[in-house]
Amino acid sequence: MSKPMNHEESVYDRTMFGFWVYLMTDLLMFAVLFAVYAVLNNSTAGGPTGRELFSPTAALTGTLLLLTSSFTCGLAMIAVRKGNKNQVLFWLTTTYIFGLAFLSLELIEFTKLIHEGHAPSSNAFMSSFFILVGTHGLHILIGLLWMVIIMAYVVSRGLTSNMMRKLALLSMYWHFLDIVWVFIFTIVYLRAFV
Amino acid sequence: MSKSSHQATVGSYVSGFILSIIFTIIPYYVVVNKNISGNQLLAIIIGFAIVQVFIQVFFFLHLGRGPKPLYNVAFFSATLCAILLVVGGSLFIMSHLHYNMDSLETAKQLAESEAISQVEGNKTGACQAIKVNHKIAIMHTQISPTITEARQCDTLSFINSDSVNLKINFGTPTKSETYAGQTELSMRKGLSDTITLNQTGTYHFYDPTNLSSTGSFNVQP
Repeated sequence: MSKPMNHEESVYDRTMFGFWVYLMTDLLMFAVLFAVYAVLNNSTAGGPTGRELFSPTAALTGTLLLLTSSFTCGLAMIAVRKGNKNQVLFWLTTTYIFGLAFLSLELIEFTKLIHEGHAPSSNAFMSSFFILVGTHGLHILIGLLWMVIIMAYVVSRGLTSNMMRKLALLSMYWHFLDIVWVFIFTIVYLRAFV
Repeated sequence: MSKSSHQATVGSYVSGFILSIIFTIIPYYVVVNKNISGNQLLAIIIGFAIVQVFIQVFFFLHLGRGPKPLYNVAFFSATLCAILLVVGGSLFIMSHLHYNMDSLETAKQLAESEAISQVEGNKTGACQAIKVNHKIAIMHTQISPTITEARQCDTLSFINSDSVNLKINFGTPTKSETYAGQTELSMRKGLSDTITLNQTGTYHFYDPTNLSSTGSFNVQP
């Protein structure tokens, strides 16, 4: 290290790096699920393929919702840097709403598929689809719960240095989920129509 | 907040956001309008996805702008290599497996070797019960009997009565054939090999070490 660091700064950097390591292992897990999905892509056991089941417009809507929430999450981090508590809460709420809209859209899609008889147990393709997209959805759900807790802390305790660190982790996590979704959008939804 | 990690500005988020939208909409329109075909299209949309991921990693996660040395960048690169191996390796292996083991062909072979005569009411062509066992003995380059008459679902044993390991090939020295997916049988000294006669018709076989030793068997339905 070129310059001496104070204690707080080194805790911050170590926490960020530790969380980064977690995100990378999570990314590896998603990679395995992607590999499984790609391999089982045609194993529909006579059932319908993705082309007949998915809607590219719905997928695009979901993608834009999540992308916007990732963007507003970034704006929340800028408000954190400025120390503007109300702005932080405003952008986090916006992020939360877009995230919730995304998750609702996904749940509607899942419910519709299962209702039409295309459940995870229908064939290997459907299993791998629900596992891959469902794991991402579960991450989003956890992220939303985490966001509520963080917002409650920001309201009650204000933007302490501890809170800033937690906010930075949350934003990293949220951006990460958007990045994973880019591949789900491409490999699962767009590829079905190629 | 620490100066070292997040040096993000509104500008970097806005440019990341706009670029990401562009890199989402373009592949969407290309796919929906289908101006390009098959593999080319797939390569294009995956290319757009990869570029978009790097845009977001750079503009949203600010990778590479943290404190030096960049352990997180190193870890990211190592993870990308692992992903490349896992995903690329799986696809490579599974596509070759698929190519070399056609599922229908594999199911047929399994049904035959396990004598499964029908699956969910569909006849597989495998024999349900074995009827008669025919024997062909090979000794001192002599094959007896040279002509065997059999019916479908009988079995045929090639018995090696010699003191050396033997092999027989299906077909004639000039034209090889396969029987039940096999082109040859090998029998160790004093032992035999038995095949189930699933396919009907007349088949020839010969000893590759002694081309004048030939024989045939005729399978009637």
